[in-house]
Amino acid sequence: MRRKLSLRLPTRLDQLERIYEAVDELGESEEWPPGMVYQVKLVLEELGVNIVTHGHANDPEHEFEVVLDSDSETLTIELRDEGPAFNPLTDSPEPDIESGVEDRPVGGLGIYLVRTMMDELSYRRENDKNVLTIVKRKENG
Amino acid sequence: MEISVDRANEVLIAKVEGRIDGANAREFEDALNGAIAEDDSKVLLDFGALSYISSAGLRVILLIARLLQKRNAAFALCSLSDPIREVFEISGFDKIISIHDTQAEAVDKIGQ
Repeated sequence: MRRKLSLRLPTRLDQLERIYEAVDELGESEEWPPGMVYQVKLVLEELGVNIVTHGHANDPEHEFEVVLDSDSETLTIELRDEGPAFNPLTDSPEPDIESGVEDRPVGGLGIYLVRTMMDELSYRRENDKNVLTIVKRKENG
Repeated sequence: MEISVDRANEVLIAKVEGRIDGANAREFEDALNGAIAEDDSKVLLDFGALSYISSAGLRVILLIARLLQKRNAAFALCSLSDPIREVFEISGFDKIISIHDTQAEAVDKIGQ
């Protein structure tokens, strides 16, 4: 089966809840493997918080879009936002995951979790928008 | 998110229930700071009833780990679900914080 959900949301933190509800619904109806609903919610939280806080924070004039397209093998996510150009593949430093408690920098893990948990990420800047396409294969859920 | 606090074998056990995300990570930090007394020398977070944590929650865990290390206090986690354990492993937090399968095992290890 194939199911697609599209959301167009104001760039506000309280809107992320609507994304989580959509993920729960799609994960259940498309029978994602255990763990995948969690991973997809986490990825959309990390990216969603970035879009809202670094983009047009709490400006109701701006919106961002999330498309979730799930088929029998793959989930494809597309995120579009109107914020400043940000390519999570190149504009986010590799976090320090080796240092001890004292020396380890606080933060910087969000994008790293996204890159590690998902199978493919591609970014393009199109019509002054960030367009991020993410692929998660169910067999790796 | 709710935190309930208990003490056993001089270990402060904070059981965290619900989810920790960008929206309530600050509340989680305040609740933990309020629960941990200055003379607590052994602190265990029980994540058995925790359904979700994201990088916002990891940030708080690292800050608490740092604070407790400065005080020479022991710090451990227990009862992580598989997806939560994965988040800790990817982030390399399993190398700096001791993680136990059960509360009993953790209390046994860090308690007296």
